Amino acid sequence: MIIERSDQLPRVTLLKRFPVPRNFGVAQGSRIVRGKTWRAPDGATRVKTFEIYRYDPDTKGNPRLDTFEVDLDDCGPMVLDALIWIKNKIDPTLAFRRSCREGVCGSCAMNMDGTNWLACTRFISEMGSPGTIYPLANMRIIKDLVPDQTHLFAQYEMVEPWLRTKTPESGSERLQSPEDREKLDGYYECILCFCCTSGCPSHWWNGDRFLGPAVLLQAYRWLIDSRDEAAGNRLDNLEDPFRLYRCHTILNCTRTCPKGLNPGRAIAEIKKMVVARRN
Amino acid sequence: MSKDLRSPFARAVGLGSAREGVAHWWAQRVTAIALLPLTVWFGAALISIAGSDHASIIHWLQSPLSTIGMVLLLIALFHHTALGLQVVIEDYIHSGIKLPLLIAMRLVCYALAVAGIVASLRITLGG
Amino acid sequence: MKEQATTPGSTAQRMRPLSPNIQIYRPQLTSVLSITNRITGVILSVFGIALVVWLTGVAAGAQTYSRLHLLIDSWFGQAVLFAFTFAFFLHLCGGIRHLLWDAGLGFELRTIYASGWTVLAASVALTAITWLASGFPGG
Repeated sequence: MIIERSDQLPRVTLLKRFPVPRNFGVAQGSRIVRGKTWRAPDGATRVKTFEIYRYDPDTKGNPRLDTFEVDLDDCGPMVLDALIWIKNKIDPTLAFRRSCREGVCGSCAMNMDGTNWLACTRFISEMGSPGTIYPLANMRIIKDLVPDQTHLFAQYEMVEPWLRTKTPESGSERLQSPEDREKLDGYYECILCFCCTSGCPSHWWNGDRFLGPAVLLQAYRWLIDSRDEAAGNRLDNLEDPFRLYRCHTILNCTRTCPKGLNPGRAIAEIKKMVVARRN
Repeated sequence: MSKDLRSPFARAVGLGSAREGVAHWWAQRVTAIALLPLTVWFGAALISIAGSDHASIIHWLQSPLSTIGMVLLLIALFHHTALGLQVVIEDYIHSGIKLPLLIAMRLVCYALAVAGIVASLRITLGG
Repeated sequence: MKEQATTPGSTAQRMRPLSPNIQIYRPQLTSVLSITNRITGVILSVFGIALVVWLTGVAAGAQTYSRLHLLIDSWFGQAVLFAFTFAFFLHLCGGIRHLLWDAGLGFELRTIYASGWTVLAASVALTAITWLASGFPGG
């Protein structure tokens, strides 16, 4: 009942989804239809069923939900292993991003059993039966499980995630005490997987103007970097009813971060800074 | 439906930062803190006078403390309500009806606050 | 999100589909309590109107007030009042939780969940206490 770390899965499921109509607010072109079923190869004994969102931009159809049976004796333990197995053995057209396979690059972020996480660090044994695999929530889909993150990176670029200084470099490095460096812990480790932003209901409704937890966490990382000299300017750009203040402390972000970071706290600290500079 | 040919960065920037928003946030919190004792006081008072006859209710409301409490409660409540509903409308409504709705909601909250204060003063001064 | 993003090079120049959000995202204590706080807030706004109506009724004199009193005392009025009390305490306890967050406290996941369950339990308890207390003579 009490979740202590974001990698903890709930033991009890009271509600699998919010009690809204299946296609609540979904445009015609985004409605998901029933797809194909792909059986496991003959002789497979341990079989797990996955329902996977598919979308083919080269055909006229709507997105669909395909059912795949995976031979667990033939693939690794993580959901990413299952996806790779499907792509190798069953359907080579299945598209998804992946790279490091160890939870540090953020490529394989997707929605599994209703929550956003990295496919390479989610155990197949933790998934339900059938396990559902959707792309990151509320994203334009290029193909299958590959979302278009252009807008998110544009928002990221807008908060100028680099050191901004007026003081010229002295010839050696810019000094920072260990205490000041410690302040960056818990914020610099973000891998920009966008699990948090994609899971934020406020970003769902206002994602065009609300920056979202990932970008705001990085904005905070630069605000508290003692070497940075543009905090006032950064706060000017953030203080906006939509860019910052669409955050209503829903905290889906902190709950879902696959790296255990805390965007909710970062945003609260930004809000405190905005208040502090006018008190 | 015309195509939006702006660059992703231009779309993200939009019209730029409003450079304000903390006033709303702060007022919401201040009115919330004010409402903590005010609502609890009013709720407790309601329980104590529930079931009493009209004259006793009038008598309770006429005391200076009750009048002050009532007026403060009405001001804080409707200010907090207006701020909260403003955020709700901004969140969910994005078409042209948004601004008229925001204005109408705010005016209704002001009107209700004034109506409540007038009623409260009528009780106190009327006798 | 209204921005267009077409699929370049495809025969059908159409918008990319939007992946499902609230249709498939798992309700968690975080999002459920948050939307509950909002729903109770909107409910309480309606009761702001009721408060003004009540005050005006009291100010209007004993006759007008007695009709109002009849409505409040009816089983319907009492049911509404009970629901309102629960909504009020949910919003009150949720609001205190929000104020603590605004001060920067309570952001560890363990605390988020513990405080969330506390809000639910406290709201139920306070509603029960209020209604039991108002059931005694003199009330």
